[in-house]
Amino acid sequence: MKKLCTILAIIASVLAIILSVLPVSNLAIFPAIAALVFGILAFYLSKKTGSVKKIIQFTFLLTIIALCLTTYKAIFSEAKVANTEVIEATENKLEEEAIEELEGLEIDDSELEGLEIEE
Amino acid sequence: MLRIPFLLICLFTLSLNAQNTAIGVGEKLTFTASYNMSGVLTDLAEVTMETSAVKTSKATLLRLKCRATTYSKWDNFFKIRDLYESYVNPKTLTPYLYNRDINEGSYYKNMKYTFSHKTKTVKTVQKKKKTTENKTVKINSGTKDIISTLYSLRTFDFTQLSIGTNKVFTILFDRKEVKGKVTYLGKETISTAIGKKTCYKIKIESYSSSTLNGTLWLTADANKIPVYGKFKIPVGNGELKIKSATGLKN
Repeated sequence: MKKLCTILAIIASVLAIILSVLPVSNLAIFPAIAALVFGILAFYLSKKTGSVKKIIQFTFLLTIIALCLTTYKAIFSEAKVANTEVIEATENKLEEEAIEELEGLEIDDSELEGLEIEE
Repeated sequence: MLRIPFLLICLFTLSLNAQNTAIGVGEKLTFTASYNMSGVLTDLAEVTMETSAVKTSKATLLRLKCRATTYSKWDNFFKIRDLYESYVNPKTLTPYLYNRDINEGSYYKNMKYTFSHKTKTVKTVQKKKKTTENKTVKINSGTKDIISTLYSLRTFDFTQLSIGTNKVFTILFDRKEVKGKVTYLGKETISTAIGKKTCYKIKIESYSSSTLNGTLWLTADANKIPVYGKFKIPVGNGELKIKSATGLKN
C-alpha cells in the first residue's frame, strides 16, 4: 500500500509539472490534488513503519512547483491572439475574388428590389 | 385531423417569411472558445463573427464572416486559422457565395460554393494543398451553408414559438446535405461579459452527426445575438462565451 501510494504520488506529481508548463496549465490542478493526496497517504504510512523516504518529499516539492506555476499563469498570463497577418490577407483576397465572382452571378433582381442596407 | 396540416402550413409560412430585422452591417461579435473540464476552463481560441456590406454592380449583399484563431500560447502546438464567409441577401439571408478556408496545423482546405437557386444546384470547388476538385451538387430549396444558417437562427420570431417547438433546416457541409433540427427550450437569464441577459435557449441537433449538437443562448431582444454556446465533446464540454459586441442593429 505504501509503495503503491508512493508510485501514484510520483506519477501524479510528474504529470502535474508537465501539464503546468503546457498551455493547458489549468488542468494541472487535477493531478496536483491527486499527488498531494497520495503523497500525504504515503508519508503517514511510511512514518508508521519507520523512516520516510526522500522521494515522497520530492513529490511534494514537484506538486508545489506545479501549483505555483499554474496559479501564476492563471493570474498573470492573458489570452492573446497573434500572427493574424496571413488570415487577414486571405480575407482580403477572398473578398476580392468573391466580388468578381458575384459580378458574374445571376442574382434574381426581384429578391433584392428596394433593398437598402442600414449602416 | 386538420390540425396537423394547418400547423405545418403555419410553420412553413413562418420560416418563409423570416425576414432579417436583427442583423445589420458593421456588427462585430467576439467570443472566447474554451474547454471546460469539471469546471476548470482552458481558453483555446478567439472566434469573431462580423458583418459588412459588399457592393457589386447589380446589388448590395451582406457578407457574413466568421473567424476562429487560436490564442498565441497554442500556436506552437496546434495553430488554427479558420475563415468562413457567406455572401447573402441582406433581407432573407439566402446565400449566393460561400467560402471556407481551413488552416489547422499542417492541414489546409479551401471550399467554395456558388449557389444557383434557380436551378437548385451548387457549384463547388475544393482546394487542398496539392489538389483542386470541381463538383456540382444538387440541393433542395431552402438549403443553406453553415454560416447563413447560423445567422438565420436570429431571424426566428421566438415570441411566436412555444417551448419544445422544432424547426428543421438543411445545410450543405463538405458537399453533402446535412439535416438538422433546432428546438426552442424557453427563456433563461444568464450572466455574460456584456451584462446579465435574458436569453432564448435553443438546442441544435444534427440528424447524421453528433459533432454539431449543442445548446445556444440568444439574447431575448431585437438583436438576438448569441451570447453563450455549449457543446458536448467526448471528455468535458466545449464552451463559447461572448467577450464583446459592437455595431448592433437595434
